[in-house]
Amino acid sequence: MNTPLRTTNRRRLLASAWLSFVLLLALLAAWLPLPYAPATTDLAHVAEPPLQTAAAYPHHWLGTDPFGRDLLANLIFGARTALLVSVPAALFSTGLGLMLGSFAGFWGDTNLRVALGYWLASGSALLAAFLSFAGFWSTTAFLLLSGFTLVIVLATPRLRLLRHLAAFPADRLVMSAVALLESIPRLVLVLVMAAVQEASVFNLLLVLSFTYWTGPARLIRADLQRVKHLPYIEAARAAGLSDFSVLLRHALPNASRGVRTAFPLSIAALIGLETTLSFLGIGLPAETASWGRLMATVRLEPAAWWLIAEPGLLLLGTMLALRQLAGTRPTTV
Amino acid sequence: MTRILSAGLTLLAIVGLTTCSSPRTPSATVRIRWAQDPGNLDPLAPSNPYATESLNLLHTYLLASDNITGTPAPWLAEAIPTIQRTDSLTLITYRLRKKARWDNGEPVSAHDVAFTLKVMNCPGLPNEAVRARFDFIEDVLFDKNDNRHFTLVCRGRAPEFLKASGDYPILPEYALDPQRTLRSFSLRTLQKNDNTFAANPVITAFVRRYLAADLPHHPERLPGCGPYQLQKWHSGQQLTFKRKRSWWADQLRPVPAHLLARPTTIEYQVIPDVGTSLLALRRGEIDIYPLVPAKDFYRLSRSEAARRLQFHTFDSYEMVTLGFNTRHPLLQDKLTRRALSHLVDIPGLIKATQQGVAQRTVGLISPHNRAAYNDSLPLLSYDLTAATLLLQKAGWLRQADGRWLRRMVSGQTQPLSLTVSYRAGDPLYEQVAAQFQTAATLLGVPVRLRPTEASVLTGKLKSGEFELYIRTLMGNPFIFNFAPILHSASVGTSNYTGFGTPTSDKLIEAIALEENPKRKIRLLRKFQILLQQESPLVPLFFLPYRLIASNQIANLQPSGLNPGYEVKTIITQSAN
Repeated sequence: MNTPLRTTNRRRLLASAWLSFVLLLALLAAWLPLPYAPATTDLAHVAEPPLQTAAAYPHHWLGTDPFGRDLLANLIFGARTALLVSVPAALFSTGLGLMLGSFAGFWGDTNLRVALGYWLASGSALLAAFLSFAGFWSTTAFLLLSGFTLVIVLATPRLRLLRHLAAFPADRLVMSAVALLESIPRLVLVLVMAAVQEASVFNLLLVLSFTYWTGPARLIRADLQRVKHLPYIEAARAAGLSDFSVLLRHALPNASRGVRTAFPLSIAALIGLETTLSFLGIGLPAETASWGRLMATVRLEPAAWWLIAEPGLLLLGTMLALRQLAGTRPTTV
Repeated sequence: MTRILSAGLTLLAIVGLTTCSSPRTPSATVRIRWAQDPGNLDPLAPSNPYATESLNLLHTYLLASDNITGTPAPWLAEAIPTIQRTDSLTLITYRLRKKARWDNGEPVSAHDVAFTLKVMNCPGLPNEAVRARFDFIEDVLFDKNDNRHFTLVCRGRAPEFLKASGDYPILPEYALDPQRTLRSFSLRTLQKNDNTFAANPVITAFVRRYLAADLPHHPERLPGCGPYQLQKWHSGQQLTFKRKRSWWADQLRPVPAHLLARPTTIEYQVIPDVGTSLLALRRGEIDIYPLVPAKDFYRLSRSEAARRLQFHTFDSYEMVTLGFNTRHPLLQDKLTRRALSHLVDIPGLIKATQQGVAQRTVGLISPHNRAAYNDSLPLLSYDLTAATLLLQKAGWLRQADGRWLRRMVSGQTQPLSLTVSYRAGDPLYEQVAAQFQTAATLLGVPVRLRPTEASVLTGKLKSGEFELYIRTLMGNPFIFNFAPILHSASVGTSNYTGFGTPTSDKLIEAIALEENPKRKIRLLRKFQILLQQESPLVPLFFLPYRLIASNQIANLQPSGLNPGYEVKTIITQSAN
């Protein structure tokens, strides 16, 4: 085995070991024999450096923050929060991006033809959803719109007028949404969305997911546009397979390599975003431990280097490890 | 020729370099750090102490108060008013200063004072808080021969009436009611707060005009007779007050101390973050930093930068309080409130947040007031056992899983789980909340923290959308009127806890009206006992005021009364 390959594999091993360590800490956080809970304040030991506590007290091995909270407990529970937010958000945003990107890339603007009735039903359902989301809601409106949607869906196969096929501009719609979301800096968008919602892990997860799907969507769209013209896809079509079947069984497995490679990078970016939001005091409830929130306390105690160094090292290590995993491929000897 | 040229160039270079490297140009501008925006500059409903500080620059009051002794001093009044007492009334007679003028040149008259009192009682205006404070003034008697001379007719008798009768900004009738429509109503009639008056077309038209002016955000639409005008207001960032070129008090000789207005410009910079504020002070971007956290105060006093700064500490009348929403089903009974009060580790908090320097208290009266302070009451202890016993006494039962449940009259059970609201970004509140949460968790009571933006928090407190709050409360060592914060009549306005029983209301009213000092002290002591028993709000400790200012600032007159300095008397390097 040549040296660069060996180095790459070593790095990969190191990255995997580090991530396993962080994952293990996060999973076992609640069962670890920690002397303090993350939210517990110790007023007698405020902003204490690591390894300084008197023997009479349980040790604050890694020091305390300016509120007297144990850093060890907060780092471990902060790891749990980082993973709890970033992994589901990455999964959900990748899933959403995969779905919308596939629509756009595989069918384009002209290939997806939908009956006029279903167009109307979708419009009515979307209007109902919008009214509900915007708060202009009433039972009468709900009943009317639901009834209309149902009637149209049932009537479409029977009425010739409603069966008339019209092209669905999937690509244009998805790419417009992508352009719209990407025209606003992501941090600004997330900040605005997180600020108007009540702070909770679930809400933060939703905000991150709905702002992060554009990357995977663009990747999968580009790959599908390439793959759909390959001869084996043409062959599958000629064999009489349905569009969905061709997409799911033949096109996506080949086109999703880019998304799979970018997935660890998505997690890394989302951990960074969650840390930034917590640093700014937005998104997560005040009692939830977070690396970003821990780092933010250094403003109250500028000389407390450990408040930046300890969560900073964990964050740096995790992000580097994720990047390492994304940037290299497993190499067999 | 060459020599002359080179000498000239050298001279120019020296002058240029000297200009570049000299300290910042001395000016009569004072720059002060504020932790939050004043939010609402309507003189009827200032939302916080910063709004009150702003209104003191824009408007003048009849009387001022000496920060140290508390003795009243004439401000817009020519002299201390005379007092006459009858069986049930107090008559306070004022004469306004002859030179006092509005910006349009018209003299300030007794009708302006009467107009102000009517506005403070007019139905339909956001005047609930001021109405509760000044409803003892029931009429204004004019002097037909002298429009500067008038008598305030006050209901009842109380020594505080003298100071309180002149403690509101006088508003210009010409600006708000040029047609003088309110003159047709007496103050007594408006005070009835009758619904028929609210529908009166004259009143309705006046209220519409007043509200349309949007004074909370456009104070410039109400020109006061104070020395300053609001020049700029970038909400959440900065407020700039400019001194009027010719202010009526400049003609007085000698200028009374309370009518001094030295700085030509006062700039308030809204910097919520403590670290950023300290950096601004170090860089010389602000001149005064009031209410500095203890840790930063002492750290800065030991640093290199201390040579360019002056440091002041005073015992204040501002206290940190834990308040309960007594309307909330979980917190309606006093035993639960008292149990939860035992979860605050006051000595620990004083040590952690104030470097051990703060004054504990049993109630709302400062321990400095030795006569009125009820030292026979015990200081609140941090005692989980006492809290457990009190919770059990209140009907709460601890379950096997550690939670507390109580069976209600309806047969349903309610779990004991609480939220604590406080202003976001303030380390002191965060510390108190975190400690309370820690203690409550030990007891098995889940507590959620709700750091909230200042103006949102005020709205939630007013509407009763909270369970517990942590905030500071401004005390006044010279006036004992607890009606705005604890009387049932103030619920929905400034009585955030929603507390008020017939007994407590009666006691609060008796304290406000009592004029015999010995009897008043007895009542005040009784009030402290009642407050500790009922615990609608728990005073934790009095904060020391710590103020840091640039060495270029003089005559700050630091004191224990908010904001901790007298901005109008400040002398800057250039003005000196």
